[in-house]
Amino acid sequence: MASKNLDFAADKLLARDFLTNFADSFGEPKYLKILQDVANHKVRVVQIEIDDLVAYQDLDEEFLVRVTENTRRYINIFAEAVDELMPDPTEVFSLDEDHDILMTQRAEDGADNADNSDPLQNMPPDIKRFYEVYIKAFSKATSFTIRQVKASNIGQLVKTSGIVTRCSDVKPLMQVAVYTCEDCGFEIYQEVTARVFMPLFECPSTRCKVNKSKGNLILQLRASKFLKFQEAKIQELAEHVPKGHIPRTLSVHLRGELTRKVAPGDIVEFSGIFLPIPYTGFRAMRAGLVADTYLEAMSVTHFKKKYEEYELVGDEQEQIDRLAEDGDIYNKLSKSLAPEIFGHEDVKKALLLLLVGAPHRKLSDGMKIRGDLHICLMGDPGVAKSQLLKHIINVAPRGVYTTGRGSSGVGLTAAVQKDPVTNEFVLEGGALVLADMGICAIDEFDKMEESDRTAIHEVMEQQTVSIAKAGITTSLNARTAVLAAANPAWGRYDLRRTPAENINLPPALLSRFDLLWLILDRADMDGDLEMARHILHVHQNLESPSLGFTPLEPSVLRAYISAARRVTPSVPRDLEEYIATAYSSIRQEEAKSSAPHSYTTVRTLLSILRISVALARLRFSATVAQSDVDEALRLMQMSKFSLYSDDRQKSGLDAISDIYSILRDEAARTNSMDVTYAHALNWISRKGYSEAQLKECLEEYAALNVWQIHPNTFDIYFIDA
Amino acid sequence: MVGPMYDFLQNPLGAVHLSFEKAMEAPPPLTSAADRPAAFNGKDWGAVDLFNKFLFEEDGLAKVPILEPSSIHLLKPNTLVRFRGMVQDMFGNELYVGTFKDGSTWRTNKFADVASFPMPSTCETQLWERRLVHCIPVPGQNSWTLLESNTNQNYRTIRDDGTTQHGDKRQRDGDFDNMDLNVSNHARESPSYNKKQKEDEYPCQSSHLSEDTMSQVSEPSSVVDDKTSFSCLVKVYDMPESNLKLNDVFEFIGIYTFDPQLAVHKDANDDPMYDLMEDVLDHLPPSKVPRLHCLICRKLGAQDFIPKFPGVESLPSMVRGIRESLLGHLTQVLGNDGLAAQCVLLHLLSKLRARSDWLTVGNLSLNLTSFTRESASIFGDQLIKTIQSLLPFSQALPLTVEYLNTGTLQPRKNNQTGRLVSGALQLAQGTHLTMDETYLQAGELNSNGVENVRLLKHLMDWQKVEYDFEYYKLEMAADIQMLILSEGKSNILPADLVLPFRPTTVTCNVTASAEQLKAWRWYLATLRSLPYSNGPEILETVQDEMVVAMKEDQTVGSTDLNRWLTMAQLVSASFGENSLSLERWQLVKELERLRKERLK
Repeated sequence: MASKNLDFAADKLLARDFLTNFADSFGEPKYLKILQDVANHKVRVVQIEIDDLVAYQDLDEEFLVRVTENTRRYINIFAEAVDELMPDPTEVFSLDEDHDILMTQRAEDGADNADNSDPLQNMPPDIKRFYEVYIKAFSKATSFTIRQVKASNIGQLVKTSGIVTRCSDVKPLMQVAVYTCEDCGFEIYQEVTARVFMPLFECPSTRCKVNKSKGNLILQLRASKFLKFQEAKIQELAEHVPKGHIPRTLSVHLRGELTRKVAPGDIVEFSGIFLPIPYTGFRAMRAGLVADTYLEAMSVTHFKKKYEEYELVGDEQEQIDRLAEDGDIYNKLSKSLAPEIFGHEDVKKALLLLLVGAPHRKLSDGMKIRGDLHICLMGDPGVAKSQLLKHIINVAPRGVYTTGRGSSGVGLTAAVQKDPVTNEFVLEGGALVLADMGICAIDEFDKMEESDRTAIHEVMEQQTVSIAKAGITTSLNARTAVLAAANPAWGRYDLRRTPAENINLPPALLSRFDLLWLILDRADMDGDLEMARHILHVHQNLESPSLGFTPLEPSVLRAYISAARRVTPSVPRDLEEYIATAYSSIRQEEAKSSAPHSYTTVRTLLSILRISVALARLRFSATVAQSDVDEALRLMQMSKFSLYSDDRQKSGLDAISDIYSILRDEAARTNSMDVTYAHALNWISRKGYSEAQLKECLEEYAALNVWQIHPNTFDIYFIDA
Repeated sequence: MVGPMYDFLQNPLGAVHLSFEKAMEAPPPLTSAADRPAAFNGKDWGAVDLFNKFLFEEDGLAKVPILEPSSIHLLKPNTLVRFRGMVQDMFGNELYVGTFKDGSTWRTNKFADVASFPMPSTCETQLWERRLVHCIPVPGQNSWTLLESNTNQNYRTIRDDGTTQHGDKRQRDGDFDNMDLNVSNHARESPSYNKKQKEDEYPCQSSHLSEDTMSQVSEPSSVVDDKTSFSCLVKVYDMPESNLKLNDVFEFIGIYTFDPQLAVHKDANDDPMYDLMEDVLDHLPPSKVPRLHCLICRKLGAQDFIPKFPGVESLPSMVRGIRESLLGHLTQVLGNDGLAAQCVLLHLLSKLRARSDWLTVGNLSLNLTSFTRESASIFGDQLIKTIQSLLPFSQALPLTVEYLNTGTLQPRKNNQTGRLVSGALQLAQGTHLTMDETYLQAGELNSNGVENVRLLKHLMDWQKVEYDFEYYKLEMAADIQMLILSEGKSNILPADLVLPFRPTTVTCNVTASAEQLKAWRWYLATLRSLPYSNGPEILETVQDEMVVAMKEDQTVGSTDLNRWLTMAQLVSASFGENSLSLERWQLVKELERLRKERLK
């Protein structure tokens, strides 16, 4: 057997060399520094990272393999090496702790009984240690799902992730039991390696044995060494469970400094040693041949972090770079949101921008301007609003899905509640508070409780929740992007009524949404044929027709978005003028119209800026470009059209002639006969028309000899009479 | 070798051990002798092949007794049994001492709960893995499917008891085989030997035994809410994970162990440290739940529960004949309502064929309206009875406000015990579910009731049931035919097909002959899984007609199209046809026209 001729002493030397010689990226001896801190009682943990071992220049590959495959043994080896290397404390600290007093005394005793060779009287190294050694798994190693941890992994360092379902209390676990003998007065040590141990009753010291006095042993609780111990159970993550299977669970043992790191409901990644646990007592008999297993935790990492803390793993950076180079990233990403929902391209684009958001701004006078985009989806029942919402939550690293009615008594914002056990008032955050720095999706927004409805005004603009109740006056952060879905007031959208009547929400609340979208279930010939084809295809081939593209994985989306969120683009000076003009022209148009649909206010201007900045972030650009502003204007226009599209028809102009009049006006305004194609596209898209419609218009009017079209660039030249 | 040296039925472990030793002795192909036991980790060394040969080539299958609540006390531990059940819960992998070195020979513990040879206290061992699944009899399994196996079983027991001459001989053979093995293999395992060994080791145990079993019985066992509360813990070896899924119906053939010797002791007395983490198996004590070490298993479909129908298969005229007679029977049951009978027939033939992102294909739920409580008690009950006699698995749920508020429909994971608590909607694929809404009175639903209704609606729409795993929910695919009986159109459960029920006569006690029932069962089971595909011409016609229909009537939407296509497939299948013809398409349209007329 290969394991037999392992030379642990030699490996200890290797471990020592590593600890002394390893230099981090700054050239500093990382572990010696840690040891000094440990000696000065600043920290209690020596975490040996496999990453460092891999990076260590004089690495013995086989040593690495041995460490990862027989980790428990090597923790001891490293601990022994640390013992040998432990420097003297450089700072003076008072000897007031029990532990220190005991140690000083023992050291003196030890000197007296130097000739004593009784092994049980030798102090186990564990009792002297006031630090813990952990070996953290290689960060680039693949993480197992719980079901992939197999019998072959026993004894190895593995990484696995799951959701914590249960946690025990933290209890003391005896590591070294210390007894004193009534007869000889010696301290006797007993190392405890399992969870149960058989206490000693008779003094095994040589003196008692020689005297045959069978000295009575008394367990000294204060002198014994205890370790904090906690047991947790993790359950497989939903995405790791194969179809038609039940999530598996795994017990995790947490010791020392790793205790109290997890709570039920946390999604965590553990690195640890997979070990079998021998059954004892009756349990062994019942279990027969069976061994239970657990994971001895070495490190804990929490998942589903905020975007800011998101760490890229594996080749994600590479994928992001590749995607960023692709010019069409905006379309590609938005299409990958809920790919199974057909159409709704602009809605998806808006949702993508909601995920990206704009940076928060805090002005020098203390005023805060929110960066989060708020979007409200309105529409007939059954147009997949809820699916869209759920998908967005799935993509967002931190997202909370709730309904307006709210499932708990806390509601959406926050509530003061009486703790049933202590009778104390406690503040409990609702969904919006829980989604701080994330996204809160609220379905059935219109059915919100009255109390929440008043509070949500504050959340959406100031991004805080204030509470003054039962003696508690406080303000909680709720920096969240609100994605709301609401049904029309009469169940279905009534086209004969005005949108304001259809939307059963106060205008003050509506104005806080950057974009409002109406999704209607309307019938048209093309759509019908498309639907008939789709259903027939499914019935014939028993599968959905292919999407025509491969959507990006949610994890890639998440990584890309989090990378984009780190960018803080600025608006260049020359663009400010452009935005101001656009804003004033919208205001003017509104003033001209007899029945304005909306009131363009400063809020609108801020929305335009937010959307433009989000678009710039998607391109990883440090400055906002004019195209971003144009796209922002287009999205706002489209969202308006989704609400008021009927008015367009009422005005008597069809799309083609409307485009013509837009271009005509534009040319007249600038006093020139030329309009470049790009410029024309900008103008018409801002009004919510598509490129195809523009082309159609160009051809039609070119045929009428109104203008000439450049055959290659499609630039327009008006033939004026 | 002339014939087997061991009795597969009475001493299957003997066969396992002998083949293991043979495999160990065999000249090593590549690996060294020391690695050989490791090589058998997760692999079969030929034992399963032996059983395969015995069961399927030498017709041993019929001789294997069936594990049932009624037969459990007749079965001896460590014998070969078979068990048909649904996978209700799946536990993790269990590591066990797969093999150990007894002196110089390697012994195996595969397919056993306890070591069959005394294990030295310190010896070289290897940990192997096996999977644990918890199985229960298929929910809603109708008695006629059991009857077949029961008669078989009775025959077996009589023979086992040695009352017939043949059985007597067999029994003696078995004894002889056992003895033979004992001699040749130094104290081959036998139940008595095991027992003795156990008692030697733990002399205190037997005194606790009765007390413990008592307390176990008296404790209200909250986890097993199956009416019969009979279940079986199956230990599965060496099978790819994907082969065995939740709610699958399986036949397991393996070694039965039911050892009250391994009684449970309460954790509290044993090890207080374990109070948080209860062992799943604590709730399935070996004294109550039998264990089955699976040697061979196969997945069963509904048709496996139906005896082979003698006759020329799928002869068009015969299929048509059966169809007519079944339709006639259904018409009679439904008080001479021919249209309702046609719809019920299509409904019974429906089966989930595929699901795409936003629609399910092949399932056809039916809502018969215009029932009153009185008419439901006549026709509804008759219909339920008829369905019970036709389909292998069927269940009826009377929907009352109280049931919705208090009943557990959703299977839920209890993280305290580690068990999946079954709900009424944990059903095998292909189960028929009748919901009688006529019991429903006006009342208030609490949150549980709302959740239950939502669950039923979700099942109806998507053929998926959400299982609650406390921190997240997982959707499990289901294939359940749903029939709703209601007064008006059910708003709680919007079915694919809504038809007002118009009986004209009341015919009590419509009976069918056993021969007829047999034919109908075969007909339904076979035609349900008929393949179906269409040529482009007919598809073109259908597509054009659908677009026209949508143009004419704005209310026609995707659900209607989906329904028409499903009905088209089912009508074709009911005639035993693999593709749609114009004639059948006309029939579908005619059905829809008649149905629409009634709805007015």
